[in-house]
Amino acid sequence: MLLAYRLALASPWIRASAIEATEFPALADSLDVQAVPRIVVNGVPQWDGAVPESVFVDRILAPAFE
Amino acid sequence: MPLFKADDEVRVREALGGLDRPVELLVAHGPEETPLPGAGDIDFGAETERVANGLAELSPLVSVRVEEQPDGFARYPAVAVLPEGRDVGLRYYGLPWGYELGSLIGAVLEAGRAQSSLKPASLERLASVEQELAIDVFVTPT
Repeated sequence: MLLAYRLALASPWIRASAIEATEFPALADSLDVQAVPRIVVNGVPQWDGAVPESVFVDRILAPAFE
Repeated sequence: MPLFKADDEVRVREALGGLDRPVELLVAHGPEETPLPGAGDIDFGAETERVANGLAELSPLVSVRVEEQPDGFARYPAVAVLPEGRDVGLRYYGLPWGYELGSLIGAVLEAGRAQSSLKPASLERLASVEQELAIDVFVTPT
């Protein structure tokens, strides 16, 4: 979660939200959240689990350069 | 029940002592959520406010503001972490408790830094972004 916050702090184009899955079960179900952390970018599920900073940045920025 | 065990409180207070700039926690309350099975009588909004106030008690640079359904929130309860009172898009949706209390503390520590803690290579890549990206990270407190 902290990497997402760091990215949002570093770029005016990026926002980052933690969402407590058990408190918002309908939303979590709609995004098929079965493991945490699940990372979703612009409403599209991307991956589950923690990754190193360089990998996180690569994966987060991928939609911006498609 | 206190927010932290005594030794944890000392560690959090020390960490917050390193803040370079003020951080405001905006607690957003909204329409009552459907009670969750097994949640008993927990008032998630009130508990979220208690957590935010508990952090503010540990640092003169951390403050709390509480609003009903402010603009810019998708669901409630929520906490926005505002470096120097500015909304830069940091949110925690739900009650930050258990393991996830650490996420909120981490957000405060990051927001309180004058300089990013990202690696230079990451900052260089971020500088080329000119498209809005909304990162949602689903978490659980255990």
